[in-house]
Amino acid sequence: MPALHPDQTTPVELRKKGGERFTVRWADGHESAFGARTLRGRCPCAQCVSETTGQRLVFEEHVSPDVAILAARTVGHYAVHFDWSDGHTTGIYSFDYLRRICPCDLCTGRAA
Amino acid sequence: MAPSPIAEAQVLDALRSVMDPDLHKDIVSLGFIRNMTIEEGVVSFDVNLTTPACPVKERLREQSRRAVMAVPGVTDARVNMTAEVRRPQTPSTSALQNVRNIVAVGSGKGGVGKSTIAANIAASLAKSGARVGLLDADIYGPSIPIMMRSARPAEPRPDNTIEPGEAHGVKVMSMGYFTPGDQPLIWRGPMAHKALQQGLLSVNWGELDYLIVDLPPGTGDVHLTLVQTVPVTGGVIVSTPQDVGLQISMKTLRMLQQTKVPILGIVENMSFYVCPHCGGRDDLFGHGGAEEAAKSLDVPFLGAVPLDPAIRRASDDGTPVVIAEPESSAGKAMAEVAGALARQVSIRAFRHLSLSIVEE
Repeated sequence: MPALHPDQTTPVELRKKGGERFTVRWADGHESAFGARTLRGRCPCAQCVSETTGQRLVFEEHVSPDVAILAARTVGHYAVHFDWSDGHTTGIYSFDYLRRICPCDLCTGRAA
Repeated sequence: MAPSPIAEAQVLDALRSVMDPDLHKDIVSLGFIRNMTIEEGVVSFDVNLTTPACPVKERLREQSRRAVMAVPGVTDARVNMTAEVRRPQTPSTSALQNVRNIVAVGSGKGGVGKSTIAANIAASLAKSGARVGLLDADIYGPSIPIMMRSARPAEPRPDNTIEPGEAHGVKVMSMGYFTPGDQPLIWRGPMAHKALQQGLLSVNWGELDYLIVDLPPGTGDVHLTLVQTVPVTGGVIVSTPQDVGLQISMKTLRMLQQTKVPILGIVENMSFYVCPHCGGRDDLFGHGGAEEAAKSLDVPFLGAVPLDPAIRRASDDGTPVVIAEPESSAGKAMAEVAGALARQVSIRAFRHLSLSIVEE
């Protein structure tokens, strides 16, 4: 994985829009907008990603379509933690990770 | 012959076959089963889910009922579905809301003088008029109570908070106050985690300009707990000039970087030795390694502290050398380190706005 520039992984603004969306504006000016279900389906915790094989166990399609973010809070200086409406609370999403999973067309290579 | 009474353990064993599909654990291990009563062949209990909106509630009810009905002697199973949304285990950090800066002092390996540097930084900042706290997070080998001898040690309060001790103008908290001097603490990680959280959140720190946290060596539980529990202003790495010590210290530095804790700087301890007889200087462990590393890593170098018998004398005496012998070469060096650190903290405070999540 190519290393990211510190500006790409430093958030300047974090917004939780109701239970449906979470957005990050980064120091390099980029903006990432996550839908709740996408974000829940990419939870990096040890229940959702096997600790031994690194394989993802819980995918977006396993998550209820109307899953909502109940609460979001920062973890130290490096990550965000979510409480989900399905009772899941163990994921710690580092800023590096959030930037790497930015779902925008540019980051996913959909914009040619 | 009357049927033998049904044991609760039998019922629980049967319920262990029922898995929560989200949490990937059985509902007994998850602690969902509450209020079980067994009257003759009738078993009643609650299944307490994590959310009333559980999409698989009915499935769990049916599976639970069937599992219990299969226990010999059971004539009826009454399953009551309840729910309680669990609060996340994240502690409130409000106890620290009046603490302006949290500075972690770490090193990769033990014995580089981390606690000595932390104690001297704290005492020196306090001497300059700042309000300072010192938390000994080295719960397995707490040395702060020896180096900062306190007339008034930390003590627990009836309201489950801890009143910090006070020494040389610094509020001090250490597990060393609560364990007899020669008794080891034999704890696994979760206890260490709990102890640090208590040290951070249950201590009446009051208003502080700086809370210095003396970390245990390495990159373990305590370090992760610290960076996850509170927003750390920055970290200081203590190293000896020796390459080995330095390389290992770099692990702590990298860990702090990975968790986005700004590096406030590197201190070189045991930097050189000045012979008290002839005044000749000897670089016992080499010299300048830490300064070079700081340069190549582009982090501030906070200063070099010599090997000086004055440090040992003062530390064993319970008074940091910056207070006991401020005019000694070590006393001056420690004061310089504290000053350089305070400067870096100010630069950070100016540059870094605290990050919070805006709710819409």
